[in-house]
Amino acid sequence: MQRSLKFEVFRYAAIAAFLALSLIPTLWMISMAFKPIAEWQSTGADLTWWPKNPTLDNFRFIFGESSSDMISALERTAGRPILASLLSAGFGTVIAMLAGTSAAYGLSRFGYGGNLPLALVQLRLFPPMAVMIPVMIMWAFLGLIDSWIGLALIYGIVTLPFAFWLMKTFFDDMPREIEDAALVEGCSRWRVFLRVTLPMMRPALASSALFIFILNWSDYLIALLLTTRDWVTIPVYMASLSSSMTGQLYGAKAALGLIAAVPPVIMGIAIQKQLVRGLTFGALKE
Amino acid sequence: MASITFENVTKRFGDTVAVDDVSFEIRDNAFFCLFGPPLSGKSTILKLILGLEQPDEGEILIDGRPVSHVNPARRNVAMVFQNLALFPHMTALDNVCFPLVERRIAKEEIDAKVCDVSEKLHIGHILHKTPAQLSGGERQRVAIARALVRDPVAYLMDDPISALDARLREQTRVELRRIQQELGKTLVYVTHDQEEAMSVADMMAVFKDGKICQTGTPDTLYQRPNSTYVAGMLGAPAMNVLPMNMADMLGALAGPNGSKHFGVRPENLRITKGSDAMISEVEPLGGSTTVHITAGDVALTSTMLGQPQFEAGTQIGLAVNSGQTLFFDGAGNTLAAAQ
Repeated sequence: MQRSLKFEVFRYAAIAAFLALSLIPTLWMISMAFKPIAEWQSTGADLTWWPKNPTLDNFRFIFGESSSDMISALERTAGRPILASLLSAGFGTVIAMLAGTSAAYGLSRFGYGGNLPLALVQLRLFPPMAVMIPVMIMWAFLGLIDSWIGLALIYGIVTLPFAFWLMKTFFDDMPREIEDAALVEGCSRWRVFLRVTLPMMRPALASSALFIFILNWSDYLIALLLTTRDWVTIPVYMASLSSSMTGQLYGAKAALGLIAAVPPVIMGIAIQKQLVRGLTFGALKE
Repeated sequence: MASITFENVTKRFGDTVAVDDVSFEIRDNAFFCLFGPPLSGKSTILKLILGLEQPDEGEILIDGRPVSHVNPARRNVAMVFQNLALFPHMTALDNVCFPLVERRIAKEEIDAKVCDVSEKLHIGHILHKTPAQLSGGERQRVAIARALVRDPVAYLMDDPISALDARLREQTRVELRRIQQELGKTLVYVTHDQEEAMSVADMMAVFKDGKICQTGTPDTLYQRPNSTYVAGMLGAPAMNVLPMNMADMLGALAGPNGSKHFGVRPENLRITKGSDAMISEVEPLGGSTTVHITAGDVALTSTMLGQPQFEAGTQIGLAVNSGQTLFFDGAGNTLAAAQ
C-alpha cells in the first residue's frame, strides 16, 4: 500500500512522542543514579539531562559507604533487602506456579475442581487491604512476621489466581489430540504430562512466571505490613531512604531502582525466545 | 493382526448419544471404512477402539478379547488423528521414533524401523525438520509414519487426508491402499467423502446419528442400499428418488406392494425422444456429462459418458435401464428390488 509522505512523517512523530513519554522517566532514573549528590539535589537551571560528573557514589552509598559530609552512612544497607526481595518474590512465584499450573491442568483436562475458578476469582474480589489485617494476625500467630518464608507464602497465595487463570487459558488452547496421540503411542498419563505437555507449555510457563514474578517483585503493601526490620524488601527499603538533613535521597533511590530493574530484565531477555515462539504452530493441519 | 467387534455399544456425552447401540465386526486384515456426515459418531467409534473413551454400555472386543478395561497404551492400536497431532516441540524424526522410544525398544532396532518406514513414505529428507517447517503433505506423511513405525494390531485413521489438495488426496489414498495390502493389517478409516470411501474400502459402514444404517462392501451398498439415506449418501450425483406416479412415464416396472418411491441412479436414467421433461442445465465434465432435468416440479439428473450435445430448454423423454430400479416404502426403507 502506498502511503503519503505526510502520513509517514505523522506516524513516526507519533511513535517518537509515545516512546519519549514512556521512556523519559526511565532515562531520568538512570541518569540520576549516576549523578553526584550536588547534581541530583540541584533544581532549576542547574538541572541537566546527563550527569556532568558521572559517579558511582549513589551505589556505594546504598551499600554503606558515604562519600559526602552532607549524608551520614546508612545504618542498614541495600544488600539485605535485595536478598529479601529475591527470596520472597522468587519462592512466591514458584509456589503460585506449582499450585496454579497443577490446578489449571486438572480442571482443563479432567474437569476436576468444580467451582475452583469461581473461588479463585473471589480471592481477587477483595482488595488485598481487606484481608491483610487478618493475615497479619495469622502470620504473627504462626511466627511468620518479618521472615522471607512468610512473605513468599502470602505472595504465592495472592498471585495464585493469576497463575491459575493464565495457565488454564494455555491448557484449554492446547489441542487435546496431541496428548491423546501420546497416550495411544504408549505413554502413561504422567509420562504424557512430562514428555509432551510440559515441553509444549514452556513458553506459557515462562511468560506466566515472569508476569507473576514482576507482581511479587514490585509489591509494597504486603511487605510493609508483614516485615519490620530483618526482611524488608526493596520497595519498603526504598521508601525509607531519606535523611533528616536532605530529605528524600533521590540519587540513592534511583541507584536502587536501577538495581531492582535488573532481575526482571534478565528474566525477560532469557525467555524472550520462548515468548515469541508460537505455541503449537505446525502441530496440526490448518 | 486383529478383528475388532462392537457389541451393542452405546456412548453418551451428557444428553447427546454419540454412539447408539452399535454392533458390527471388522474382520482381520480388512480395510474398513466408517462413512457418514460430520458428527454422526464415526470419530467416537475410533476413540472407543483406542480406549480414549469408555463405552457406557456394551463391550468392545479386539481379537475376541474384551478391552474395556485395558488402557490405551496397552491396546496396541495405532492412530492417525484428523488434525495429525504431531508433537510440535520435536523434530519429525523424534515424532516418528516416539512410539518406539516409549516402548523401550533397542536403539539399533529403532534405527532400522525408522529407516524402513521413511523409505516407504519418502520422508527421509525431512526428518530433521520440526512440524512447523513442513508442508501439509509432509506433515501428513510424518503422522502416518508415526503410526506405521511400530507393529500394532490395527491402524485407525480419522480423515487423515482431508486437508490435502484434490490431486495429492487421490495419490495418497492409492498409497494407503497399497500400504495396507503390503502390511496385511486391519485398517479402520473414517471419512465423510463418499468417493474416498468407495475407492479404498473392502467393507464399509454408513453412519447416521450414531447408528449404523448399513454395513457391506462398497459395491453392495451402492447397488443395494437398504434405505433412501444410504442410497443418497453414495454416488455423485445422488440417486434420483422419485414418487411412484412417475414410474409409468419412465417405463419402470411396478414396485412391490407398499412402494412409495423408486430410485434410479443418474447413470441408469436415459434421455429419449419425447416431451415429458425438459433439460434445465448441461454440465460437461470432460469424461462424462451431467444433465439436469425437470419433469413437472421434480428435478432429476442423468449422467452419460462423453460429451453428448444437449441444449438447455430442449423437450425430452426419459427411460430407465431395466432392472436398475430400487423401491422404497413410506419410511424410506428399501423393498425387495424388482428384477
